Amino acid sequence: MTKKNAMWMLALLFLASPMIFAQADPADTSAIAQAHTQWKAIAAGFSMAIASGLCALAQAKAVAAVAEGTARNPGAADAIRFALILGLALIESMALYTFVIIFVKVL
Amino acid sequence: MPETELWITKLFNDNLAGLGNTLTGLVGMAPEARPWANFVTMELLVALIIVVLFAILKPRLSADRPGGLQHTCELLYGFFKQQAEDQMRHDAPHYLAYCGTIFIFVLLCNLIGIVPGMESPTMTPSVTAGCAIATFFYYNLVGLQANGVLKYLAHFAGPVWWLAPLMIPIEIASHLARPLSLTIRLFANMFAGEQVTVVFLKLTFFLVPVVFMGLHVFVSFLQAYVFMLLTMMYVAGAVEHEH
Repeated sequence: MTKKNAMWMLALLFLASPMIFAQADPADTSAIAQAHTQWKAIAAGFSMAIASGLCALAQAKAVAAVAEGTARNPGAADAIRFALILGLALIESMALYTFVIIFVKVL
Repeated sequence: MPETELWITKLFNDNLAGLGNTLTGLVGMAPEARPWANFVTMELLVALIIVVLFAILKPRLSADRPGGLQHTCELLYGFFKQQAEDQMRHDAPHYLAYCGTIFIFVLLCNLIGIVPGMESPTMTPSVTAGCAIATFFYYNLVGLQANGVLKYLAHFAGPVWWLAPLMIPIEIASHLARPLSLTIRLFANMFAGEQVTVVFLKLTFFLVPVVFMGLHVFVSFLQAYVFMLLTMMYVAGAVEHEH
């Protein structure tokens, strides 16, 4: 699936959501709770996927920069490696914040 | 999620429930049937291991014939000293003790989860919040001690005085975000490591999650190192003297 198709599908999903919410009967709490659970699951899946994807892109940029920097200047390899380890750990923690929110709010 | 008790926690709860209720009563919590939580007993176990390790080391310290344990501890100390001097330059020896202790404590807390029958206390947000709040108080107190109250508070105003109304809220928010990020980073890494192992155990068969436990060991070292590094960076930022 191309990026454009994926964006269209996401937009359709967002546009369709008010219709689903509008059809829920206010007196029937179990159906609303079930719908909420289903939407929470979908939201959790999407948010974790987006967070992990962006985290992976950022870490890829970091690793690419380190590889090129070390290739240009092998003498600075230690300092570059230090920046790499620190940067990777901090970027990883950003994706993990999303994971924590899912576990606290959704499950 | 229901918490199952480890055998150590069961031992504590069966025999020392009164002590547990007394200790929680000191801070105003109501007494419960089984007051000891898993992470409390695991933390105590890690503290005991550290104390025993250094109690074994002390009589074996020798300048002429150092043993294996002394070599390992000297390597570790050399590593701490190198890191401290990279981050904190002039004042490194004063603050090395706390940073090294945090590294060893967090590392052993993380690694003890690999042992079957025990779980990492750093898997609960309470423990990591404790370490992060301790670090927060430490670097602020150290900054106040090194710079004096007025000059330390002047740090919050930023580089030029007329930016102060903008800088002070930003600085306060970033300082408050530091223990939060330390907490969540360590907790989420350890918790995610365990969850990934459990989920893959459910999905595949018995020995496959060993790969994830190996990853968990690597992540344990990395997260302990990052915690210590960030502590050193915060201390360095707090004690820097403006020349």
